[in-house]
Amino acid sequence: MISVCALADIPLGEAVRIDGETPIAVFNVDGELYAIDDTCTHQDASLADGWLEGCMVECPLHASCFDLRTGKPTGPPAKVPVRTHRVVVRDGHVYVDVAVTASA
Amino acid sequence: MTVSLPPSLLATLPGHYYTDPSIFTLEQERVFESMWFAVVRSADLATPGKFETVEVGRESVLIVRGRDGALRAFLNVCRHRGAKLCVEPSGEAKRSLQCPYHAWTYGLDGKLIAAPNLTKMPDIDRVEYGLVPVHLKEWLGYAWVCLADTPPSFEDTVIGAARDRLGDTEMINHWEVDELDVGRRIVYDVKANWKLIIENFMECYHCATIHPELTEVLPEFADGYAAQYYVGHGAKFADEAQGFTVDGREGLDRIGGVGEDEDRKYYAITVNPQVFINLVPDHVIFHRMFPAAADRTIVVCDWLYTKQVVASGRDVSHSVELFHRVNQQDFDACERCQPAMSSRAYARGGVLVPSEHHIAAFHEWLTGRLAR
Repeated sequence: MISVCALADIPLGEAVRIDGETPIAVFNVDGELYAIDDTCTHQDASLADGWLEGCMVECPLHASCFDLRTGKPTGPPAKVPVRTHRVVVRDGHVYVDVAVTASA
Repeated sequence: MTVSLPPSLLATLPGHYYTDPSIFTLEQERVFESMWFAVVRSADLATPGKFETVEVGRESVLIVRGRDGALRAFLNVCRHRGAKLCVEPSGEAKRSLQCPYHAWTYGLDGKLIAAPNLTKMPDIDRVEYGLVPVHLKEWLGYAWVCLADTPPSFEDTVIGAARDRLGDTEMINHWEVDELDVGRRIVYDVKANWKLIIENFMECYHCATIHPELTEVLPEFADGYAAQYYVGHGAKFADEAQGFTVDGREGLDRIGGVGEDEDRKYYAITVNPQVFINLVPDHVIFHRMFPAAADRTIVVCDWLYTKQVVASGRDVSHSVELFHRVNQQDFDACERCQPAMSSRAYARGGVLVPSEHHIAAFHEWLTGRLAR
């Protein structure tokens, strides 16, 4: 489990990016938190910088949309899903349980 | 060389001022890129993401409505490798402005939002490497930009031009120009130097010869004295004219703030270097000039009416037709002069008669700016 930030530091409709070997983005969708790999699978871009609509995030570079629940892209140019990760909130703090393998 | 002229005459600029590309370049730098320049009707960019690109001097300028509702202007150049960011003259960006070359992506506020591998370059400041902002102010429902680092006072140079002509600062507000809607827009591609168009607009010595419809409605124009000759003077409509229309028929609804004193009169204002404003009781005619080359100027003319008139779909064609004809007559005259500017006969320029003497002040203003 990696520590992300205080729950209050991810406002509604926003995302927080955790840098690292594989950066991870945590999104706040109407109070529900989702974590995915932050890097678009098409070209190196931060999905945390993208646009959130419902449970979909649109990559800011080439507009591929990823479903935060499954990590699957809805259409080109991205073809490969991003990994999704389990989010845990404990005592007002957000943690991510980083998945070991890619989700299909 | 000084030419001795009889007292009735003043010299114009020499012919090469209207043809020489190096003078035009100097004008781009010291006039169009240094002064306030009216670029777009604010209401044309009503919603977030709507943009227009316009040429101001030698620069392409992007004007875009932000998500916060504010209009902003930027140099239309990607900060990465210099590609032109928006290539269309107008459009609607969904969420961002993206360079079509390497996909550097900017917010509608100009900030760099994303770029390939940007997260691997944490030392890139997203504001520092955002789009280069251009000063923007809104007045009379138009966005005016200034490319200078330190713009001249908008109050003095733009609002002041209207004050100097009308004789008071408040008067133009009676026309509620920012509240009006565009009833008609006509774009003229004029094969003439921008100064010929300004000079033409400033005088009425030609009116009796080339503007039969206009002098029917404004009989005093046949005497050759333009509204720009005076301060605070409105040219009276002919007794027979019901309105400012091509055939003298009744016009549209009078604009709310226009008082009895200003009714049935025509006022005209030049805002150097590229705006002409005509005020009549029921509409405002707003010209924006976009000088494109020493011998070419694009003129965008808006006919503005009350929101009610435009929304009701009432026929504005008779009032549009009057000044459309005037424009065509004027621009034909300017196009007739342009080739002659390089003639040996005009090498030292021509002359201004007394009813045109105020044009000499425009020439002094211009040569003063170019000499800086």
